[in-house]
Parts: sequence; structure tokens; C-alpha cells
Amino acid sequence: MRPIRASLSALLVFCAATHTARSDWILAASAALNHDNNVGNAENTASMVADSRAEANVSLLRQMPFGDGFSLTAGGDLSGQLYDHLSGLNNASIDGMLALKKKWGLGAFAPWSRVGISVGRVEYDDRYRDATLYSAALEAGKRLNERWNFWAKYAFELRSAAPAESDIYGVSSDVFSQRGQSFKVGVQYSLSERMSLSFGSLWRYGDVISTTQPGADIFANSKAVAPDPTFGPDAYAYRLAGTTIGGRLGLEYSLTAHSLIGFGFQRLDTHARGGNNYGDSMPELTWNYQF
Amino acid sequence: MKPKRFTATLGLVLGCAALAHSAELHVTVKDHKGKNIEDAVVLAVPVDPRNAQRFRPPQDAVDQVDKQFVPYVKPVFVGSTVRFPNSDNIRHQVYSFSPAKKFELPLYGGTNAPPVIFDKPGVVVLGCNIHDWMIGYIYVSETPFFAKTGPLGTASITDIPPGDYIVRIWHPNMDRAEETTSRQVALGAEPVASAEWQLGLKAGIRVRRVSGAASPSYP
Repeated sequence: MRPIRASLSALLVFCAATHTARSDWILAASAALNHDNNVGNAENTASMVADSRAEANVSLLRQMPFGDGFSLTAGGDLSGQLYDHLSGLNNASIDGMLALKKKWGLGAFAPWSRVGISVGRVEYDDRYRDATLYSAALEAGKRLNERWNFWAKYAFELRSAAPAESDIYGVSSDVFSQRGQSFKVGVQYSLSERMSLSFGSLWRYGDVISTTQPGADIFANSKAVAPDPTFGPDAYAYRLAGTTIGGRLGLEYSLTAHSLIGFGFQRLDTHARGGNNYGDSMPELTWNYQF
Repeated sequence: MKPKRFTATLGLVLGCAALAHSAELHVTVKDHKGKNIEDAVVLAVPVDPRNAQRFRPPQDAVDQVDKQFVPYVKPVFVGSTVRFPNSDNIRHQVYSFSPAKKFELPLYGGTNAPPVIFDKPGVVVLGCNIHDWMIGYIYVSETPFFAKTGPLGTASITDIPPGDYIVRIWHPNMDRAEETTSRQVALGAEPVASAEWQLGLKAGIRVRRVSGAASPSYP
């Protein structure tokens, strides 16, 4: 976890150095409990592994408005995930981000757009999954009125990991490096002063990782293959090209002006090359706090 | 007694006499379940407009504290000058689209913003272009006799010249038109008059400060 410690120090130095400036510091925290019925993205039922996990995240962002509706946001996140059974997937991550937002008008109902980049590092208990994460995103949104809020996001994501150790001659073992692009749309509807309903939809195309028992079909269609002992001694991870379509339905309740809790259900279905298709269902409880 | 001293004494006596004859109105505002309503503006409009002539609009202020307008509701007399000091250690961009007063204070911190004159009666909704959840109200009153209810749902208007008044109530979330709350009240027969209003409030749906799991990624 040495790179994470170094990045954390850099983030703290950045924060301390800019502390006196008149700009908006946003300190936010979130936590979630969720259950994934198919953590490894396996196609057949026999290979599916379900697990529950707890997540926590702390963000420190500095928002710098500079006129004409422009604002620059810079900052970082510290996150962690703890799995109930698959302890090799326990991880900690840190990332830094920079985003430029433009509000096309005055007021809460003015449309906005944002372009942003982020760089992060995630480290797992099973180190062969460690990766550096890069992403660039373009977002836009509009609040129609006090009840309805719409937004959309396009993102390009790149995940760079060291090739895993592999005993398969002639086949790439760089299974945990991925690239992909995604498009999300979201809508939020306020049911009352404190309660809101949200729906988000996702389309993603790019590399996916499926961990399952060895098989000829999936092997033939994979870009990379490597053993994945996190899921057992006979499990292999396959990197495939695939398209994911999914949705998330959520209900959120404001506990105070600064915090809210929520319940969400997410369903993702992936159609991977060679007919290797799989699905994930994930109910989750969330908590968000913003100072 | 010297003439100057006599004039001053006479003025004082007459002033005291005028105060002695002034009335006070105590108002309680509750919802239909009997719960106290805070931030309701109570207005007493004199039927005889001469009763309001001697008043001059004062200077007022609406502060910004912890990314909120303080107070949330501010009643002012028409013609008042209102300053918008910013007590936060960040910059705000205050604006209003309301017909009663359209204005914008470009990004500023501290007490640098120029004051704004509210010269037309009506409701002015305040916002901040950086922090969308910030909302505040300035009620520009055509009468100098007004007050705002506190947490107990009570408000008192003091030093009202005796006479007939149309009293009405306004609240940001009231479920009916302000005019429908009007009542004629005769003040002055007793030094203190009391009245109670019942208001229905609709849900005050506002932009939220906290981003949830389903919200866009950054503020």
C-alpha cells in the first residue's frame, strides 16, 4: 500500500497548502452495504459466487468558481471495500480528480455541463489485481424544477494492471487491464421534502472480466487469461469484450440537511464475446454525508 | 421655564402620549394540526394610509452563513436598502428572478457586495448560483407594520397607530393565496389585540445539499 500512502500524503499537503484560500471546500463521506449475487461475473450458475461487502469513501474537494458560470473542482477520494467471504478482493483506493463545470445561465434550473479527468490507484489484498485507474468524463444535466432532475454522463475508463503470473503458454495474462466507455443517464424525482426516487440507466462497451471454471468457448474468445485464486484454486479470470446494459432504482431519504440514507437495487446484464453472457443483481443500503 | 426647554418638554409629552395611544397586535400562526408555524410574515395594512406616512424604510441585511441565507425569511418595508454580507469563508453569487426585484450580485466574499434597494412590494426569492440548495425570501411589505413568527408561531407588531387594519399572513409554503388570509381588525380600543390564524402548508421541496448514490459525480 506504499503508493496509496504516498498519494494520501500528497493530498494532505495539497489541502494544507491551499487551506487559507477563499474557495469552497467540500468534505463528504459515504458508506454502503451491498450484496452481489455474481461477484466474479460468471456465466453459469455453478460458477457464480455471491458475496456481501461494506464500502466507505471520504472525498475532499475544492470548488473554485471564477465567473461566467465556470467553476473548477479539484480534489481526491479515499475509498475502501471489505468483502464478507472473498477477502482477496478487499481493497483500498485513492484518486485525484480535476473537473471544469460550466453553468449555462443563472439559478438552480440552469443547464450545466462538465468535463473531468481522474487518476487513481487501487490495491487489493490479492495483489495481482492492483491497478492504476484513469478516466475522462463529460457530463451534462438540467434540473427542470424542484422535483425533477436529469443528467447524463459519458466516460472513458482505462485500468492498467501488471500482467498476472500465468502458466498458459502463448496467451496474454494481462487480464486485469481494461478499457471501456460508458454512457449513463439519470433522473431523480422528489416525492416529498425529504424523500426522492431515482432511476439510472447504463450502457457500457469495453473489456469485462469474468472469473469462472475453465471452458473452451470462453477461452477461445478471451483477450487474456490468468488464474484467479481469489475465487478458488481452479478459477480462471478471462478478459473479454462485452456490452453491459443495466439500471439502478433508488429511494433516498434526507435525515438532515447534511445527510441522507438510501436503498437501491442495481441490475446489470453483460453480453460478452462468444456468447459468454452473465448478469449481476445488487441490492444496497447507502449513507451519504456532506459537511 | 425657558421657551426652548418648554418646546422640548412638550414634544416629549406629546410623543409619550402618542406611544401611550399606540396599539400592539399579537398573532399566533398554526397549521391545521395545531403545530406552530415559523417564518410566517404578519402584515397589518392601515385602512387609512395616513397611518403609515411617518415611517421611513430602514437598512436591513440578509447574511450567508454555512451556505444558507440567514434569516431564511426577511420581511422589509418597501424602499428598504438590504445588504448581503457573506459570513462564509467562500464566495457566493446571490441573485433573484422575482418580478418584485430582479438582481444579481456577482461572485463576492465578505461585505463587498453593494446594497440592493427593494422598491416594489412583493415576494423576492433569493438564490446562490454556486450553491443551488441556498434559498431565501425577502418579503417586501407595502406597510411598515409587520413581524415574522418565531419557533413558537407567534409574532408581535408594536407601536401601531389606532385605527382599522387589514391583517394578512404570508408563508413560503402556504397552500393558498395570501389575500385569502385577510381579516379586518380594529386596533386601539384595547392596548393589545390578539388573533390566531390557521394555515395549510404544502411540502417545501427544495434542492438538496447532499449528493446521493444516484446523483451526478461531483458538485
